[in-house]
Amino acid sequence: MSPVVQMHGVTKVYRSGSSARTVEVRALAGVDLTIYPGEYVALMGPSGSGKSTLMHIIGLLDSPTEGEYSLGGEPVRGLSEAQLARIRNQRVGFVFQAFFLLPRLTALHNVALPLVYRGVSVAERLKQAKRALEAVGLGDRLDHLPSELSGGQKQRVAIARALVQEPDLLLADEPTGNLDSKSSDEILALFDDLHRQGKTIVVVTHEPDVGARAQRIVRLRDGKVADGGMV
Amino acid sequence: MNPAKDAPLSPSRVGQSGMNPLENFRMAFESLWGNKLRSFLALLGIVIGVFAVTAMISLGQMATAGITQDLEAVAGRSIFVQPNFNEGQDFNSAPIRDVDIQALQPLPVTVIPQLFTNIQYESKPGERRSMQLQGTPGDLPKLDPTNKIAKGRYFTEAEARGGLAVAVLSDRAAKDLFPNSEAVGQIARLYYPGGARIDLTVVGVLEPPSGIFGGFGSTATVYAPIQLIWNTSPAARKGQYDFVIMSLKKGADSSQVTQQVRRIFENRYGKGKYQIQSTESFQGTLQSITLILQALLGAIAGLSLLVGGIGIMNIMLVSVTERTREIGLRKALGATSGQIRQQFLIEAVVLTLVGGILGVVLAAGLLLLITATVPFFKVYILNPTTVFLALAVSALVGLFFGVWPAARAAVLDPIEALRYE
Repeated sequence: MSPVVQMHGVTKVYRSGSSARTVEVRALAGVDLTIYPGEYVALMGPSGSGKSTLMHIIGLLDSPTEGEYSLGGEPVRGLSEAQLARIRNQRVGFVFQAFFLLPRLTALHNVALPLVYRGVSVAERLKQAKRALEAVGLGDRLDHLPSELSGGQKQRVAIARALVQEPDLLLADEPTGNLDSKSSDEILALFDDLHRQGKTIVVVTHEPDVGARAQRIVRLRDGKVADGGMV
Repeated sequence: MNPAKDAPLSPSRVGQSGMNPLENFRMAFESLWGNKLRSFLALLGIVIGVFAVTAMISLGQMATAGITQDLEAVAGRSIFVQPNFNEGQDFNSAPIRDVDIQALQPLPVTVIPQLFTNIQYESKPGERRSMQLQGTPGDLPKLDPTNKIAKGRYFTEAEARGGLAVAVLSDRAAKDLFPNSEAVGQIARLYYPGGARIDLTVVGVLEPPSGIFGGFGSTATVYAPIQLIWNTSPAARKGQYDFVIMSLKKGADSSQVTQQVRRIFENRYGKGKYQIQSTESFQGTLQSITLILQALLGAIAGLSLLVGGIGIMNIMLVSVTERTREIGLRKALGATSGQIRQQFLIEAVVLTLVGGILGVVLAAGLLLLITATVPFFKVYILNPTTVFLALAVSALVGLFFGVWPAARAAVLDPIEALRYE
């Protein structure tokens, strides 16, 4: 089986300041990483270890300074901004710490949002969104606004929004960071479920008990994979 | 796994534009509706601007229509022939003769030849004042319905042909000659500039002209038979007239007949000797004047649209900043920069277009009110062209002032945008 994520020698260097006194920050210093379909991977490391940068590159929100990266078997180097947006839409489902639901849209319409950029008709969009919400156990909250939902419910809406894309990769950034322990458990149980259904999941976290749920832990330190890169 | 997703990520696969353009309109309405108060305040400037432009243009058109109607009430649909004063001609060098009048008869007009001369009257003992003596055929109101009898009657065709000493007075002349008494039945004592005296029996008084031309249309004029003036005036010559009014018959084409009249006079006397004009050509002149006024007022009103547009730009910039996270999220979910730009551009256009529609509706209401209450504005005019133009301009204002905010939204880095608090 070809890997979903395949990275070789990926670096990311941020430059800031004036041309005379450029400050270079090396966020990633040569990352090798392979993730296969159906894996549940936790990306861990102390703050400043580069795990956010790595997540952005995996999710095509950022591009490597050097190195090779293939998503779903295809190299992404040289793709245009519009092409990257399209691949994000089709292959990557994001789940964020702060949920990022649009406050004026109902749960159903929030979940349907990614399909707008795919040209799916309204009726079909809402049908798929409803199915995704039912899959995360929110079939009875379709018409609720985010403000009418609990934190755990909001995160489940966000997960449904990622699932509706049928992505190759579910990319979750500190998904339990804004939740109490009970809601956290619910979300982690949901990830376990999705893993059992064969979804590929990457969770970025600094919490050991979140990482412990994953099948494999990739540890980052100083912009390098310290453990679990499995190339 | 979905087989479509195993296909290589070739540009041809990922480059297709997936989004239905109508989605952005739906989103624009949702977002504007979600921010009702702010959207309303933002488009208020456009509402006022479009209202002002539409009202100005339509009021101008309504004023033109009003003036045209007044002009027709005063002058009818007529053609005038007189010496071409612009080319140095006068009543002596370019008189209109009986033969010319005969030549005009076959045209679809009622020919009314006339004479002018100066006449004086004694306002008080020893003081003489001037007024106009106009020679006309008998029964003038029948020939030219713009002349209406207020009291008495017009002198008859027979009285006119006989050159009887009868007169009809304009409203002003009646007041000047007989300030304290009823004019009809009295004798008007008048003097030619040379001194010769004529006494005319007043048989009728005309109505004052109506409409806004009433003011300068009401000169002190004494109407008398042409034959009488030929017989008594030292300046008049028999068989010669000073000018001709031709009242167009129903269905006759003004510009066509004007051409025929011009040809008759040019064939006989060459170009430039006589001036031939129609009420239609006066209307043309009037229209060009009101058009200039309209353009001027419209331009001033257009300034308020500009101010409204700047307001839209301001609110859109605020909106982009406020929705930074939304923009980041949409990009993460697969929106391209182009789609984000389009979304905000369409939001601006929808905002100004709604403002434009409200402005046109308000203007239509005001125009209805004005037509109902101000007598001068007789007809209600709101051209489809004006409406279309107003809406097109408001959409363009949105497009123009939305470009910059939309561009700012489009270039936002999704990572920065998602981090934004």
